[in-house]
Amino acid sequence: MLHEEYKDLAEYCVREARRLGAEYAEARVHGGKGTGFLLKNGEPQPSVIDDSFGIAARVIVGGAMGFGATNLLSRERVKDLTVTTVKMAKFTARLVKEPIKMGESKTATRKVRVAEKEPVEGADPNWLKSLLLEIDNSVVKLAKGKGGVKIANRIMVASAGFEEKYLVTSDGAKVESRVPRFSYFGILTALKGGDAAQRTIQRGETGGLEIVKRIRLRENVEDEARTLVDVLSRAEKAPTGIMDVVLSPELSGIAAHESVGHPQEADRILGREGAQAGESYLSKDSLGTKVGSDEAYVSDDPTIEHSNGFCPVDDEGVVAKKRRLIVGGTVTEFLQNRSTSSLLGVENNGSSRSAGFDREPIIRMSNTFVEPGDYATTEELLKEVRDGIYLKSFTEWNIDDKRLNQRYTGLEAYRVRNGETTTLVRAPVLEITTPALWGSVKGRSSRLEFEAANCGKGDPMQGIPVWTGGPDTLLAGVRIAGGS
Amino acid sequence: MARVMDPDESNEFGVKTAKKLGADEAILMTVVSSERMARFANSSVTVTKSVKESGQMVYLVKGGRRIIGSSSNPERSSLERFIELLYKSMASLPKDAGYVPLPSRGRKYPRRSSYDKKLDRAENLLADYVEEAVGAADSAGARRTAGSLEAGVTSHHIMSSTGTSGSDASGRILLNIRAFTDRDASGHGLSCASAVRDFRPAVAGKRAGAHSKTMRNARQLGGEAESYQVLMSPTVASNLIALVGEFASAFSVEAGTSYLVDKLGKKVASGDLDLTDVGSGDGCLQARTFDDEGQPTRSNKLVEGGVLKTYLHNLSTAKRFKTKSTGNAGLVEPGPWNLEVGAGDSTYEEMVKEMRHGLVLTSNWYTRFKNYRTGEFSTVPRDGTYLVESGEVKAPIKGIRVSDSLERMTSSIRLLSKEREWVQWWEVDTPTLCPWVLVDGMTVTKAYGESPPRAS
Repeated sequence: MLHEEYKDLAEYCVREARRLGAEYAEARVHGGKGTGFLLKNGEPQPSVIDDSFGIAARVIVGGAMGFGATNLLSRERVKDLTVTTVKMAKFTARLVKEPIKMGESKTATRKVRVAEKEPVEGADPNWLKSLLLEIDNSVVKLAKGKGGVKIANRIMVASAGFEEKYLVTSDGAKVESRVPRFSYFGILTALKGGDAAQRTIQRGETGGLEIVKRIRLRENVEDEARTLVDVLSRAEKAPTGIMDVVLSPELSGIAAHESVGHPQEADRILGREGAQAGESYLSKDSLGTKVGSDEAYVSDDPTIEHSNGFCPVDDEGVVAKKRRLIVGGTVTEFLQNRSTSSLLGVENNGSSRSAGFDREPIIRMSNTFVEPGDYATTEELLKEVRDGIYLKSFTEWNIDDKRLNQRYTGLEAYRVRNGETTTLVRAPVLEITTPALWGSVKGRSSRLEFEAANCGKGDPMQGIPVWTGGPDTLLAGVRIAGGS
Repeated sequence: MARVMDPDESNEFGVKTAKKLGADEAILMTVVSSERMARFANSSVTVTKSVKESGQMVYLVKGGRRIIGSSSNPERSSLERFIELLYKSMASLPKDAGYVPLPSRGRKYPRRSSYDKKLDRAENLLADYVEEAVGAADSAGARRTAGSLEAGVTSHHIMSSTGTSGSDASGRILLNIRAFTDRDASGHGLSCASAVRDFRPAVAGKRAGAHSKTMRNARQLGGEAESYQVLMSPTVASNLIALVGEFASAFSVEAGTSYLVDKLGKKVASGDLDLTDVGSGDGCLQARTFDDEGQPTRSNKLVEGGVLKTYLHNLSTAKRFKTKSTGNAGLVEPGPWNLEVGAGDSTYEEMVKEMRHGLVLTSNWYTRFKNYRTGEFSTVPRDGTYLVESGEVKAPIKGIRVSDSLERMTSSIRLLSKEREWVQWWEVDTPTLCPWVLVDGMTVTKAYGESPPRAS
């Protein structure tokens, strides 16, 4: 765990900020150590070892919020940091029209430590290299001689490391955490003549190096490579028009993240992210509004064991809990931090996270997913489709900044006829508004699966680990466009 | 309390430690940054930020094995332990096929710190500039604004075992302001400068405010998918054309994550497009005189008259491509420093007059690729977006998406403006000096389904 000396600095920072006149102060020592290895087309690149710690101070002075950070962890530098942070908040207080309050959220005193069977600390770069080489060899081998397709280019990155934090606030929070993680990132490019198909792969969980076996990483990447070969070998032109569409867990998850999680972040709704990540199609009065069918259920849960977005106590010292974002098509809860919950007069569900010591905590998703339903299997759900598409994985996606107009382009996608998947089809495009998507949900399978992702928000940008997930989700009568 | 070293001392100590351990080569790069920011929303300041960081990048080589370290702890004994850990970890690694020795004779770079010193005291400037920008937006018709104002200075200090040493520093002040008249009517303005004298917060605020006013009662287009001429503002054009510069990285080419594979010496764009990577010079927001391998940066013509002239290289990629480093290391991945798109000879008004059936886009976001190898992408316009018919701006438009491939798009450039602006913001990582760009035949789509009732 963190040096006692660092913890003393955090507590000193809070005392000093209060002495300088801050009505609220928090300090967070935050950092991590990790090892990464990159393989490019089977060739090892230099291994990278990272060791980064620093301290963040956040204060409220006369209703103005100040944030400061430094990696220089001496008492003298932390004093400078605190003075500057308080001073800058005071400088701009005249431009604060809406005084910021942290509210009365219940704060926690807790230690969080994620168990690891095979510790990530000091992960041998050579072990990471061997792991990636094994996967790479396997991917190259399985594509050989398959209809003239070659997995010509491979980028693979494996990273193992841990994140440590010590948070203390002037109103009693004291939270110490250590969260180890393993993650894999890859881009596979398959070529056949002049045709190309590409897949970005991301896997990640919290825990030790045992994750590699638990998630069957090699088999997983092999499956992705096989799909690329199949897409280039035998995918047919996708049909277009209005039809039933079944979203896999991967597609359900990205839709839940982009068009439910983001627009239900209270800071967006209140306009705080307006110039960068955008706002929301919902307003602060949208709780209780019907935005989907009776079958639409979406949640965000930071307490799932092993999850990439595991965060049981948030970075404002508040115990986090599962949030029911959409229940039976109705908006039931927003993601909140201390100031938004105080402003809106609702319970704080502990959604504040920071990507590092040099980033302010802001409202973030954790693990956002469509809740599983009653159909026992994918096959049973597909039986409901007479003529449609099963979108199993996607490539390109985007959404407007109010989270209303989204697009997902399929990679592995199948034509469904009379309840069964038939031919593989190429690049069908689901471009749809948020109410149309969630309003068309007709059924959900019972299997719940997750994908790892990095979610970007804030200024400066903060990338933060999350899971997106869900079951298979049946959308009745939506438009499929594109196809090539 | 343990002793914190200054950058030059830290680099010297690091190189000595590495040599003592037996490293064949070592580079120590210390990066010191000081960033001040004020963010605002609903025309009210939401937070001020002050972040001071100092980090060491360590590169070691022994017997053809390489390792890279990144540490934030400049304290002497911590740095020593960190280098020992790197050296030890390197021993188990295989020899690196991509290893290229550093040039045997190092270079001495004169200490360069010609940034605007007013940026060192940015905390005194932020409030006045925010007030100026918000005031200009309000006067132009905005009901509320959101944005961020950031001022910063970054210095790089290098020392290598082959005798390279030097330091440089650059500064920037960036304003990103968005104005709203209602939830569906918004405008965007940027002012990006390397010195306070070139910074124009009121111009950015006025632009955002004016678009927020003209975007009221924006309508949706009729068809599901249609081809349009698209006139992109410097903000939009830099988002897309900067990607051409990033795809020119030899690493991306080798990795198959670039549509520029096998395109060297070939036509990849309209003859009107010139794109240059610039290491340092007037106005550069990310000026560097040396790269991460200690090689001098320079000006690299990437695309000239529409022809791809070079990829961007570090020592390692240059050897494999049988050429010389272009001074763009990244120890693993070379990349552009600052990009300049060549100016044309048109005015904005002349470009609009050239359009028969088109759209003017002033801001965009969320550009994503279906396939980096083919360069196929889509992007989402936001803020001021207007339909143009027969050379006249007719109506504000909302709810669209633009799709294309980078090569088809750049090959269909018809006109570029004389006027250029520096752009760097949330959607543009590499600072880019860019004109207005008129492109023929881009696909514009809209989403299936009705919009929800308007939120209040």
